[in-house]
Amino acid sequence: MANDREVLREVWEGKLPICFKLDNDEVVDIQQPDPFYLMVPRLSYFPLVTDKVKKHFSKYVSKELQDQEMWMEFNGQPLKWQYPIGVLSDLLRGPEDHLPWSITVHFDKFPELVIYKFSNKETIEAYFMSCLKEADVLKHRGLIASGMQKKDHNQLWLGLQNDKFDQFWAVNRKLMEITADQESFKYIPFRCYTDDGYRQKLIKPLGEDGRKKTLEDLLNEMFPGRSSINVKIHGMNPPLETPLQWMSEHLSYPDNFLHFVVQLES
Amino acid sequence: MSNENGEKDVLEATDSLQILNVEDCGRSEVDKKNKPKVDILLKPTGNAPIMKKKKWTVDSDKPIGWIIEFIKKYLKIESKEKLFVYVNQTFAPAPDQLVKNLYDCYSTEGKLVLHYCKTQAWG
Repeated sequence: MANDREVLREVWEGKLPICFKLDNDEVVDIQQPDPFYLMVPRLSYFPLVTDKVKKHFSKYVSKELQDQEMWMEFNGQPLKWQYPIGVLSDLLRGPEDHLPWSITVHFDKFPELVIYKFSNKETIEAYFMSCLKEADVLKHRGLIASGMQKKDHNQLWLGLQNDKFDQFWAVNRKLMEITADQESFKYIPFRCYTDDGYRQKLIKPLGEDGRKKTLEDLLNEMFPGRSSINVKIHGMNPPLETPLQWMSEHLSYPDNFLHFVVQLES
Repeated sequence: MSNENGEKDVLEATDSLQILNVEDCGRSEVDKKNKPKVDILLKPTGNAPIMKKKKWTVDSDKPIGWIIEFIKKYLKIESKEKLFVYVNQTFAPAPDQLVKNLYDCYSTEGKLVLHYCKTQAWG
């Protein structure tokens, strides 16, 4: 299984180059700010990596906007802070949108109807931990996450926040184990993103006959009758015959969910 | 809070009840057929006040944030105050999570049970 552990590291190390620009209409300084370039982990969340971006641009906007919550937009769509960065990239960037990913930064007119406000990193931490617990409910009836100590939860969060693979996986591997009374996870934690949000359902990793179910089975259960489906995760199109149990153990985001971006082709 | 405001809140709450509770209000048959609905059961936990009516039928494409606002209105909790909603007494779904996703994954006996409270209950 040595090779498979390499997959975890490859996924963890996935990064995206981003070019942040401040919305022209919000610049009050005579001098236009330089764009801000950043290499960010696909598995992280924007509020965890954009403190420097905020610091860089806030001196160019009017005083009363400086303390406003910063938000970001790509092609007219506000970015949801609670989606992992890699999910946003897979969801919003088309084949013609070359890297670095160009994102517009705003301090004014927060689109409260489209995205939620987060006041601090604790909000994202709470959301992240909640996803993890939900995933564990699906995999192990919630027994492993609830049996963990607060320090384990902290270690998961700090591992993600500080981009420390070993720190994170030392705890996360417990969440990815198949317990003695199981042949596989009970259900696969996943979300299928389409243009208007995401869908999730109960899908078992094994069929009635004990056969390992694949990504193709999942798509058939989620979108019955649709044959032409493009599915993306971590910026790639995984083979449809990949077993779901293996995917869940190796390709899940740190919140323990598989986040599939799905395009239904007509 | 003045009486006038109090009355307004009751009216607003009644409005949302009518939107929410299709069993009790006179919507057209077409509307009922077109929009899939699911049953939810709202249970208080911790120090949260109880709701007189616990079982509701809601449009399945509503987000959890909408349910939270609904509970606040029903219980006349200020919208600035926090209200947490939990599934399986374990995790708090994101405000943009849809009722239908939770119903598909976590309903029992045809109902989705949501616990609500005014302080964080399950870490």
